[in-house]
Amino acid sequence: MDLKTLLQAGGDRRSLLKGMGVAAIGLSFGGGLAGCSQEAGKKLANGEDGTLNLYNWDDYMGETTLADFKGAAGVDVKMDLFDNNDTLFAKFRAGNPGYDLIVPTNDFVERMVSADMLQKIDKAQIPNLKNIAPEFIDVDYDKGRQYSVPYTWLVLGIGYRKSKLASPPDSWKLLFDSDQYKGRIAVLSEAGDMFRLYAKYLGKSVNDITPADVKIIEALMIKQKPHIAKFHSDDGQDLLAKGEVDLVLEYNGDIAQLMAEDDDIAFAIPKEGSQLNSDNFCIPKGAKHPKNAHAFINFVLDAQHGKKVTETILYPTPNAAVKALMPDSYKNNPATYPPADQLAKCEYAKFNPDLQPLFEEAFTRVGAA
Amino acid sequence: MAEQDWKQQKRPFAAVSTLPLLWTLLFFLLPMGFVWFYSFGRNAGLTEIDIVGTLDNYKRATEWLYLGIFLKSLAVAALVTLICLIVGFPVAMAITFVSEKWRPWLLLGIMLPFWTNLLIRTYALMIVLGQQGYANQGLEALWSGASWLKTLIGLQPLSTWEPAPLLYNNFAVVLGLVYVHLPFMVLPLYSALDRLDKSLIEASLDLGAGHFRTLMKIIVPLAAPGIIAGVMITLIPALGAYLTPDLMGGTDSQMIANVIERQFKRANDWPFGAALSFLLIYAMFILIAMQGLRKKPGGDAR
Amino acid sequence: MAFFKRTAHAPLEYSKSLWMRGWVALVMLFLYIPLFVLMAFSFNDSKRNVVWRGFTTKYYGIAWENAQLWDAMMNSLTIAFFATIFSLIIGSMAAVMLWRFRFPFKSAVDGTMSLPIIVPEICLGVAFLVFFSWIGWPSGLVWPINLGAIIIAHITFCFPFVTMVVRARLASFNREQEEAAKDLGASEWQAFRDVLVPHIKPALVSGALLAFTLSLDDFVITFFTSTPGTDTFPVLVYSLVKRGVTPDVNAASTILILLTVLLTAVALKLQGAKALADTH
Repeated sequence: MDLKTLLQAGGDRRSLLKGMGVAAIGLSFGGGLAGCSQEAGKKLANGEDGTLNLYNWDDYMGETTLADFKGAAGVDVKMDLFDNNDTLFAKFRAGNPGYDLIVPTNDFVERMVSADMLQKIDKAQIPNLKNIAPEFIDVDYDKGRQYSVPYTWLVLGIGYRKSKLASPPDSWKLLFDSDQYKGRIAVLSEAGDMFRLYAKYLGKSVNDITPADVKIIEALMIKQKPHIAKFHSDDGQDLLAKGEVDLVLEYNGDIAQLMAEDDDIAFAIPKEGSQLNSDNFCIPKGAKHPKNAHAFINFVLDAQHGKKVTETILYPTPNAAVKALMPDSYKNNPATYPPADQLAKCEYAKFNPDLQPLFEEAFTRVGAA
Repeated sequence: MAEQDWKQQKRPFAAVSTLPLLWTLLFFLLPMGFVWFYSFGRNAGLTEIDIVGTLDNYKRATEWLYLGIFLKSLAVAALVTLICLIVGFPVAMAITFVSEKWRPWLLLGIMLPFWTNLLIRTYALMIVLGQQGYANQGLEALWSGASWLKTLIGLQPLSTWEPAPLLYNNFAVVLGLVYVHLPFMVLPLYSALDRLDKSLIEASLDLGAGHFRTLMKIIVPLAAPGIIAGVMITLIPALGAYLTPDLMGGTDSQMIANVIERQFKRANDWPFGAALSFLLIYAMFILIAMQGLRKKPGGDAR
Repeated sequence: MAFFKRTAHAPLEYSKSLWMRGWVALVMLFLYIPLFVLMAFSFNDSKRNVVWRGFTTKYYGIAWENAQLWDAMMNSLTIAFFATIFSLIIGSMAAVMLWRFRFPFKSAVDGTMSLPIIVPEICLGVAFLVFFSWIGWPSGLVWPINLGAIIIAHITFCFPFVTMVVRARLASFNREQEEAAKDLGASEWQAFRDVLVPHIKPALVSGALLAFTLSLDDFVITFFTSTPGTDTFPVLVYSLVKRGVTPDVNAASTILILLTVLLTAVALKLQGAKALADTH
């Protein structure tokens, strides 16, 4: 046996083992491999033991939600934290390390579906799905919502310090193609997002980029680079708060949180339109507690419990029932809920495995230029 | 003292070598073996890698774009190491010559900041260095003081203060890396200096050599193994730094580790990331092995 | 070992010279200013850690109640403890092997053992990810056995640092002492324990400090070897980046810093400053 087949056989053996493990659990209603695990013994009515391994972003859950769920369903939620989608995906490449529920962003839902990492959602177990606004059920990145349940949504735009700008920013031009605010600008370090938003600036769809466009955009980026203070890794709101920059490319939810502390901050979506994002609950393959995971999703989608989550994290919610319960100060915040005509020009980015390496290499060149 | 042939000392040799060799084989070479194979592979789909024995990844990794970034990273790391050596040597001397009562406190004093999480410390350093940070406030106070002094003696006051760009540029990266890597230099220096035969220094001073000459002629040569160790364990990790350039650097501060990290994460291109990593590894391996070979003929160099 | 007992000689009192003291003071200032800022900002009345908005102690309460934070601290300290012990053992063995013996492929072994220092963290992280998944390392074990994979990974990248430091120290060892001990009837092991180990003690202290620090601060490799329930403090902190580091993490760090100083002071008091100082 040569090493190539050995390597592949290694992967197969593991998934085989895992498959056998899952089958064993299924057969013995959660017995089998659970012998050496921490929560062995106690069984719930649904046949699973009282554990749920949740892999979530930080500060992304209601303050009492996990305790409330334990009270309601008797399931002890163990929450671990990840810092971005890339690391989440990289970690799952070698197989599910033991999580039952994860919260990837829309393009990574697509990516994980095509990498065969996710289980189908059993909608019968989530009656509260009815609370989700229809526009969030019918989405391109997961047709018919087979693999994901929306949790929050976000839109990219320009956060800015009102007192330092002559007029509110209305175009990506200020960030991407102008020296008007030289040295006072921070943009994202995420290559894909940057190239897609430049495409928006050039009047194209975020999903219509060609390799020729990548070249054009790269040249634009290199031209603009001397005027940029920082490529930030999604902590742009801190740069704005500290006064390091006056204009920052960020998500509305992050800017909305800062606006609550600082009156001089505002958020705008440029007239060219922007990119939407949505974080979703997904159940990875190999999850040992899929029923608990479904129960938890259903619990969080409940209007009252969902309200507690939204009150803590203050992000826009796709849950119409939750939104209806929230106070006006949240519902009418123009950063959290930008006007509908602006949102109409925004799109979800599709996952494109061919373009991603081109984006990365071009962005490396921009950094080295 | 000559090295002993392992055959004449089989049992002591086995006693000290079994565990390190086994560990290296099992928990370093074997895991790295997977990645090494990936470096000759090609992405087939999102998670599968076909090991096809291609050299394309290495070809791409040796393109000028990546070589340039590598050379720049090397220059930054070398500068950081040099600064650490200059800053750290007197500190290591102080630890060596201080009274025994104070030594543990000095050692602890050097190490304590490093038991606080790197990211938290880096954020704190960034608060100090920001445009409205304390460093700039201090500089502004000095500036206006100087301006006031000038008016006092009848000269034009200085122009208005502009915050110094202390953050988000290459200066910040070097400063941040020095901050992070200083103990990596001080500790080996201290452990090497500590064994100095003080009578040599006394003799040198008695014979009329100045402190500086004594330092260069006696202390530095005697501390050489410690200096080499310190340089190695400062330079190499500094070369692999990714967090400091990411957080404190400007738009042109990316280092080779940032590029490698992106391949494994965002680009999802493990074969290319592996090739980039292994180029770095080959270079270092050759360097270290050559150092070993160079010393061998003498036999007693270590 | 009282081999070179220091006698107070005026020319050698570098620690008393003004420029030396000034230099050390400056370096300490450089090292500690960010730490003081960190401590000050643990009293900052703002969720974000960047602008001063007034004094509060509420984040100490929040940090105290945050079970996840303390679990992560506990995990980190446990991992660092075991990783340090094993790195010291394996690292010093490797150092003695490379220093004392001549054996085939020595240069290659030498180079290989230094490699974990140069391998980019992310690369080693991915290597361990694939490796542990290949051998089917189980998840969901009881604490602290569930930290095993992380500890193994940490030992791998920590021990070469110990090797480097110890080897630099061994270069000055006078083998005749060991021979003399053996002539006087000491066994190989006794000579090792009573002559060699005391000589390399400062290097062992340095090596242990390095290994402990490296293990405590590692994020990337830990992330790729962690399973549910094994989040360490750095993993927790890095997940905060997206939303900014919050003051309760500063508060927890402040508590930890003060605790370290206090424990060291007590330990030094109890031992009469002997343990660390008596390195001769």
